[in-house]
Amino acid sequence: MSDVSKKVLKEIQERKLRPYPRWHFIFRHSVIWSVCCISILLGSLSAGIVIFRIKHAEWDLYQFLNDNLAAFLLLIIPYFWFLFLAGFSLLAYNYFRRTERGYRFRAFWVVFGSIVISLIGGILLYGTGLPEHIESVFYDKVSFYRVLQEHKQKVWVSPDKGLLAGRIIKVISARTVLLEDLSGNVWTIDISGSIWQGGLTPGVEFKIKIIGKRDGEKHFVAEEIRPMDRQKQQGKSRRVKND
Amino acid sequence: MIDFENLTDEQLVDLSLKDDKNFYYLMKRYEEKLGYYIGRITNISPEGIEDILQEVFIKVYKNLRGFNKKFKFSSWIYRIAHNEVISYYRKNRRALDSLSLDMDGTDNNNLVALLGDTLDMEEEQISKEKVDIVKGIFAELPPKYREVLVLRYLEEKSYDEISDILKKPPGSVATLINRAKSNFRKIMQRCKVEGILHNNE
Repeated sequence: MSDVSKKVLKEIQERKLRPYPRWHFIFRHSVIWSVCCISILLGSLSAGIVIFRIKHAEWDLYQFLNDNLAAFLLLIIPYFWFLFLAGFSLLAYNYFRRTERGYRFRAFWVVFGSIVISLIGGILLYGTGLPEHIESVFYDKVSFYRVLQEHKQKVWVSPDKGLLAGRIIKVISARTVLLEDLSGNVWTIDISGSIWQGGLTPGVEFKIKIIGKRDGEKHFVAEEIRPMDRQKQQGKSRRVKND
Repeated sequence: MIDFENLTDEQLVDLSLKDDKNFYYLMKRYEEKLGYYIGRITNISPEGIEDILQEVFIKVYKNLRGFNKKFKFSSWIYRIAHNEVISYYRKNRRALDSLSLDMDGTDNNNLVALLGDTLDMEEEQISKEKVDIVKGIFAELPPKYREVLVLRYLEEKSYDEISDILKKPPGSVATLINRAKSNFRKIMQRCKVEGILHNNE
């Protein structure tokens, strides 16, 4: 082998090559660790939203739907945010293994650790209300996400199963309102004796979800009324007084 | 007058950063070793090996300030060589399809160690004929198995060093070596040379 070392040295001197400066490597390590930490943080936000969605999911719907459990879970479980959590955990792993010693850890444990840290972060963030706010922003600004959530709401247009949802188009009396459901059909709703969740009172343009019984072609007797807006579900419930 | 031969790699790195002429001594220390290593895991001409080696040393020089003295310099430079071979492989796919192991007489002794580990043979049972058969089997191994056996038995690297060179967890290195040996045995059985290898002389 000819003297490679001499050739390389000559090339270094002729091309005036210089070693990269120290800050180049400090910057690179900083970027790698920053991406790692940001991924964990975003994973925590996703986990927080998962916790929020699961905690406020309408698990009681299962008794009305009689569908198989898998289909119900697909409806209820916030898989959109689970995918985000998984994605950020993988991103964290990808960058962690680029750190000086990160490659020495097995992929399974790094991803597992990342998910656990994100879950802990999610629990802490949940208490601040930030995940709820982020989810709300997503709903307002990301049309794909809104369409996905609205699609899930369609399960409420099941009058034969005792579920109905839509907006109030007219308050006829304290006992009766007219409702346009999510499919555009108009229903007469008997609200006497119903429980209103979230402290609502009947009003035009209110969007509501109703649990009750179908009583005719376009007549429905309400037993429980919930606001469509999830945040308003936090309010106290009240029973409508009969006139 | 500096006695470069007795300096550690880390001391040579420091001197190279002060004066690029000193980098020559660091290159000289690894020129032959890395040349053999590249030759053992590829099947390219000596000119091709030189080209790769030049790229390796240029990269090493440019990244000298990125070398962390907490780690072994030899593992670091071998990792750069490994990455350059991968880059070369991506451009020239056939480079790793077969292999020549006629680089160095010490390969025979090291392949003896491989035979001993894989076939549980005593040293006196291992002849030159058997070592030549082993070289042929070696050349048929998939590149990822071949490379890890090269690092373990021909470059005589420890599991930790191989972990640093290939950037894999130490446990994965152990698994890879076991699979490489298992592959080795399968090829041996397929080529029906197991009987020859086990035949006592």
